Amino acid sequence: MKLPEFEYVEPKSIRKACQLLKEKGDKAQAIAGGTDFMMALKNRLKVPEMLVDLRGLPHLNRISYSDKEGLKVGALVSLRQLAASPVVKEKYPILSRAALDVGTPQLQAMGTIGGNLCQDSLCLYYNRSPMLRQMLEPCHKLGGKVCHAVSRSKTCWATYCGDIAPVLLVSEAKIIIVDSKGEKIIPLNKFYSGDGKKPNVLKPGQILKEILVPPPSPSSGGAYLKFRLRKTIDYPLLGVALNLTMESYGQICKHAKLALTAVERAPILIEEADELKGKKMTDAVIEKLAKAAYKHAHPLNNICELTPQYRKDLVKDYVKLAVQEAFQFATKGGTI
Amino acid sequence: MKRVIALHINGETYEILVKTNETLLDILREKLGLIGTKRGCDSGACGACTVIIDGEPALSCMTLAVRCQNRSIMTIEGLAQNGQLHPLQKSAMEHDAVQCGFCAPGWLLSAKVLLDNNPHPTLDEVRAAIAGNLCRCTGYRKIEESILAVADWKAK
Repeated sequence: MKLPEFEYVEPKSIRKACQLLKEKGDKAQAIAGGTDFMMALKNRLKVPEMLVDLRGLPHLNRISYSDKEGLKVGALVSLRQLAASPVVKEKYPILSRAALDVGTPQLQAMGTIGGNLCQDSLCLYYNRSPMLRQMLEPCHKLGGKVCHAVSRSKTCWATYCGDIAPVLLVSEAKIIIVDSKGEKIIPLNKFYSGDGKKPNVLKPGQILKEILVPPPSPSSGGAYLKFRLRKTIDYPLLGVALNLTMESYGQICKHAKLALTAVERAPILIEEADELKGKKMTDAVIEKLAKAAYKHAHPLNNICELTPQYRKDLVKDYVKLAVQEAFQFATKGGTI
Repeated sequence: MKRVIALHINGETYEILVKTNETLLDILREKLGLIGTKRGCDSGACGACTVIIDGEPALSCMTLAVRCQNRSIMTIEGLAQNGQLHPLQKSAMEHDAVQCGFCAPGWLLSAKVLLDNNPHPTLDEVRAAIAGNLCRCTGYRKIEESILAVADWKAK
């Protein structure tokens, strides 16, 4: 596939990169690993005038950890590098495993953690070749006025299908966003817009710089369960991430966070998980959590041919499985 | 928009004029005649265009050539050294791991990265390493056996 023409620039400082992205606005596109963007470019879903290569930016490919501050990951760290990092494997095993659940080994080596968090949302009516797209009226995501996934909808319903975001959400991660005015730290939960058209809140001139994950609590355990048709390559058709902290004795839950991906326009934190605090992990409590997750999931038939109800039904089973797995890690004294 | 870049391919340095919108695969196949690297899906899903960039597996169809300035690239043409086939290539022949051959340049390089980092992989590790390389002929079994056999040779 021949690519459209564009200007290519490689700024050497974050300040310069922000300035270029701001000046050019919608006409510029930042590129890190490029695995998500290159397909959009090949399919002419994005046709920027200027490509701003972030890979030359200093210090953004580093991972550091301290017991007090937790984990700090530069946005340009590749998923392969993240998965192989000894400290990530030891302290945040679900993050390491989730990185290996993304795409294929090649895509993990090329793709970055920052790029994964900024991954565009998917819709079978949008992510198709230019020729096939011509057969349909342009949808909201293409600048048109219709939605083919949800008829008569006034907004875009493209689904967010990232694997790393739900895991970082249940780990209560924060991110550092930088622009020409300086840096700001926001919880990852505030990064996603819930708009299929543009799934995150980054504005032109802003760059996702680093990811901060608090240190894991003792007696905590985690799980990330990904449902897909093939064990490789595929995006999640459902992803369930759970982080469970238990009281150091007995069966009482101290803290729980649950998040879903691929069933909404953003990765979603299930707030009802907070109600587990202080409760014994009985079947009734787990069932209630599974039902809450089920209620918040809104899968559509715009990312695969399985019926949405099938994927919605799976949410309950996957939440229960995730609780079992996380509980085992937590009570064995493992960490998430 | 064009630019001259230096590419280190299979131990040789090439200075080459590339367009910003050309992929590494375009350059390898069409400018340098290194047609061992295959164009399969051209969309990052099949792994036929796999090369090794700075020791890591990469999809050349999804990599802009202009971003490879000064990087070390190995293609399938660089796997045999001094006229001697690489053990992975010999093993592939012995185990009949190649049928139509279209996927072979890709999985051989994925397997090389695996063995470079982990000389004695388990079957699951072999499967994970070649999970990004689609093969429509062999059913993978013989590919897996041929890679595991190399690991065993090295152990002896």
